[in-house]
Amino acid sequence: MAHYKLRKAEPEDVTDILRLIKELAKIVEKEDQVMLTEKDLLEDGFGEHPFYHCIVAEVPAEQQKVEGYSVIGFAMYYFTYDPWIGKLLYLEDFFVMKEYRCLGIGSEILKNLSVTALKSGCHSMHFIVAQSNEASINFYKRRGALDLSLAEGWRLFRIDKQCLLNLSAEE
Amino acid sequence: ELAIYERMPDQLINNCFFSFILVTIIELERDGFSQNPFYHCLVAEVPETHKSTEGHTTVGYVLYYYTYSTWKGRCIYMEDLYVMPDFRERGIGKSLVASIAKVGTEQQCMHLQFSVLDWNKPSLDFYMSKGAQDLTAKEGWHLLRFDGVALIKLAQEAP
Repeated sequence: MAHYKLRKAEPEDVTDILRLIKELAKIVEKEDQVMLTEKDLLEDGFGEHPFYHCIVAEVPAEQQKVEGYSVIGFAMYYFTYDPWIGKLLYLEDFFVMKEYRCLGIGSEILKNLSVTALKSGCHSMHFIVAQSNEASINFYKRRGALDLSLAEGWRLFRIDKQCLLNLSAEE
Repeated sequence: ELAIYERMPDQLINNCFFSFILVTIIELERDGFSQNPFYHCLVAEVPETHKSTEGHTTVGYVLYYYTYSTWKGRCIYMEDLYVMPDFRERGIGKSLVASIAKVGTEQQCMHLQFSVLDWNKPSLDFYMSKGAQDLTAKEGWHLLRFDGVALIKLAQEAP
């Protein structure tokens, strides 16, 4: 059984965080869409008003299955707000390297986040999952998650930067 | 008012429905106006001479916060947008959306995201006309939630 620890990410972890972000993006064949740099992650996550928070899963050197990498998983989250119920924790990304799957690390990360959510006064934890990702959807539903898109009809929309610029010119 | 519109669009007000709204004025003040606010808000205000029949001059609002994309960085999320029925069809909603788009571009946000109920055709049509993409239809994204008992149970399993 792998020995690992979960801890709050430090500025020195941005290289590993970006590596894992790109590894996750590669799985869905979107690696070329990752525009973030280490500098962005550093400024946006470790400044006075961070845009995100991050926990990482780390294994000791003797347990590394992939040489040179001790940070083998991460979860990125931030706080959002529902005017009906107040603060929420939003889970943006959640990934464990394939060499370290099925060891319970993902479950531990999720539990750690739920403790963080409750300690921070959050009523709920939200996240999105692609409908095609049945394994993840089942993983979350087994643990009590509710699919709000199915249950209540919520659809997620996005307006990209160029359209935002056009819209702001209409003000 | 928005809560009523979202939950019971064509039905009479059901008093027991208000138990869904747990946030108090004190919490709204604490969470939105402290040093590290959890949300931001723009309001639409009319002059006293144009106030509503109940005497309100604040007739609409948009509530938003900043989020983060692991692919693109800073983003802005529009949580709530509402204009009182008597003040619709005057461009106030469009102005609120344009205002939040301006905030987003000024703050170097890469995109604006928001959720719309699938029956809300007027809103769906409006946003699509402004270049919005339906990520649930196009890419299959579903919004999931752990709340209440489910969240507590998950936390209790932690070592």
